[in-house]
This record gives sequence, structure tokens and C-alpha cells, in this order.
Amino acid sequence: MSESLRMVVVLAIIGMVSAGILSVVYDTTSVIIEENAARALESSVYEVLPGTVTVEIIRSSGNQLRVDDPKEMREEEQRTTLIYQGLDGQGNVLGYAFVGEANGYGGVIRILVGVDEATDQILNAKVLAHSETPGLGDRIEGENFRSRFVGKMVTDPIAIGQDIDGLSGATVSSRAAADAVRQGFIDTIAVYRGGE
Amino acid sequence: MVLWKDFVRGLWAENPTFRLNIGLCPVLAVTTSAINGLSMGAATVFVLICSTALISLIKGIIPDKVRIPAYIIVISTFTTIVDLVMHAYLPDLHSVLGIFIPLIVVNCIVLGRAEAFAAKNSVIRSAFDGLGMGLGFTWALTLLGSIRELLGSGTLFGLALIPEGATTLGIMSLPPGAFITLGILMAVMNMVSARQKKMAS
Repeated sequence: MSESLRMVVVLAIIGMVSAGILSVVYDTTSVIIEENAARALESSVYEVLPGTVTVEIIRSSGNQLRVDDPKEMREEEQRTTLIYQGLDGQGNVLGYAFVGEANGYGGVIRILVGVDEATDQILNAKVLAHSETPGLGDRIEGENFRSRFVGKMVTDPIAIGQDIDGLSGATVSSRAAADAVRQGFIDTIAVYRGGE
Repeated sequence: MVLWKDFVRGLWAENPTFRLNIGLCPVLAVTTSAINGLSMGAATVFVLICSTALISLIKGIIPDKVRIPAYIIVISTFTTIVDLVMHAYLPDLHSVLGIFIPLIVVNCIVLGRAEAFAAKNSVIRSAFDGLGMGLGFTWALTLLGSIRELLGSGTLFGLALIPEGATTLGIMSLPPGAFITLGILMAVMNMVSARQKKMAS
């Protein structure tokens, strides 16, 4: 076998073997990874909507009719607003929760916000994901900061410097957190209350 | 005896972090806490042992001209396995270490050991070399992480050692803290080695 042919064959074999191994590993782990993510989100819904026994997911997306091409479906997926409705033991709706997103200092900040069904006031907020600076921006995770959103309504400004106190040394992170809550709240309430 | 020598070399005399000064990107980036350093080290140990052993095993069939791409495929396969398994079974840790797990592929310790050692030595010796280098990297990361976590957040492996409210050095949690700590540790290592040499002579 000539040298160049040997190079091609050896590299191809190594590539195929590793692709084979990886596809097996991926198949086994991807199921668990998705389950973990779904479970983490669901358990957070119980946290932001106290008293919830069951969670129902409401899916709403613009009235798009044709969704056969994968790219369009991905875009569709991104436009989809997921609302998590918390029900008590008797099936009464206690409140609803949504995920707000905004760009922080180090990346996207995702916050889950729980809202009271009767009063449309924020009950609680929980930071699901962020990549803010440890020791500064990551204080948005703390109860002290999150509690500043409690009781806010969609008609409130929900902005740093107006009705929410920012964290000193973490202006960008606090502002992004407030943006995520406000924008998510406006979008969600439009869908949730708009249909009635 | 040879195996023991292969193993201890990476721990001190040729410690990748303090002596060879390679693979410093994760050293500086993930060591905000002791547990991060330890887990990053453990992930690297796995990739190192598996890839040095496998590369040593298949070194005979790899044509010399394409050895680097072949090594990279092997290393990236093991790295992706670590990444996926960690994501599935240790999601909290995975979200902290994030991008630095896939970046083990380009950690020069791994390719460096493959090229400098595994390509010339037996499978078992290569595995021991990988283990030693990996553990050398791990203790360096854990030490760095412990110091930064203690000074920066007042905790060690998540346990509060400094009472709540006491002043901590916030800078130690930030990137400059990594450079400062690494610099001081390297100075200490050099001092100790210089003293050892003096004693020997």
C-alpha cells in the first residue's frame, strides 16, 4: 500500500471508530440530559409558585401554519412562549410562571418568574442560568436581590434605578435581570391574558 | 521501578502547571473554587490516561505524517465522552466548568504527553505517565482553587470557614486573583527546589 493511501485509510478508520463510540455515548446521555433540564425547570416552578401540586405547560406560538423545514421549526421553537401553570390539589390555578431572558455581563441570564393568578403580582423569581462574574454579578442569584421583584405588577416600571434597587458593583447584571423579568412579564401576560 | 518514576515525574519534577508551565488556560480560568479545580483535574486525568494509553497502543499503525490529526481525534473522542457523561450525571458541575471541559482537547498537556511520551513508550508506561501528569495537574488546580476560594469567598470546598460578614478579598475570585496566586505559588515552588538542590550539593 502506498504511503498516502495508508494515511487516508488509517485516519478514516480512527475517525469511524471514534464516531461510532461517540454516537453510542450521545444516544445514552442525551436522554438523561434532556430529562435533567426538564426536571430542573419543573422543580423551579414549584419554588416560584408556592403551594403548587401539579404543573401544566401552556404552549403558545404565533399563528404560523407551515412548519416543515427544520430551520423554520427551530425559529418557531424560539418564538414559542412557554407558560407554566401551577395548580393546587383541587385543580385550582394558583399562578403562572415564565422564563425571562436578557444579556448580562458574561452571557444570557435566564430567570424564572412566578406570578399570582388572582392579583397578577410577582410572587417569586429564580435565576435558572447565568454566567456572571463570581462574587459580583452572581449575587443576582441571592434571595436579597430576587426579593426586590416580589409584588411587582406588569404596569410597574421594573427597572433598576426606578422601582428596583441595583446591586452595587453589578450594575450590568442587575439591569439585565430586571430587563429579563420585565420583558418576559410583558410578553407572557399579553399571551396569557390576551386569550381571555 | 520504571513505572514509579514515570508516575512521580508529573507530580513534582515535571509538574505541568508549576514546572512545564503548560495548559495554563484552565488553570487560571476554572480555579475560582477548590471543587472546580479538583473536578477539572479529574476530567483531565481521565482524558490523559485513556488517550496516552490508546495512542501508545496504536502508535505502530499510524503513519508519521498524520500522527497529530490521529492523536487529536483520539483525544477529542475521550474529551467528548467526559463532556457528555458529566452533562448527564453531574449537571451542576457541568454548568460551572462549562466550556473548559470541551477545551481539554486543546490542552497542551494532553497532546504534549502523547507526542513526547506515549508515541515512544509502552502502553503501561504511557498510562502511568498520563496518571502522574494528570494528578500533578489536579493537585495544582485544587491548591490554586482552595487558596482563591478561601481568600475570595471565605469557604473551602463549600464549607464556610470565615464567619459571615467578614471582609474577603473579592479580587481573588476574579481573573487577576488567578495570576497573583499562580505567580506566588510558582515562586514558592522555585524556592523549595532551589533549597533542595543546595542541600543535595
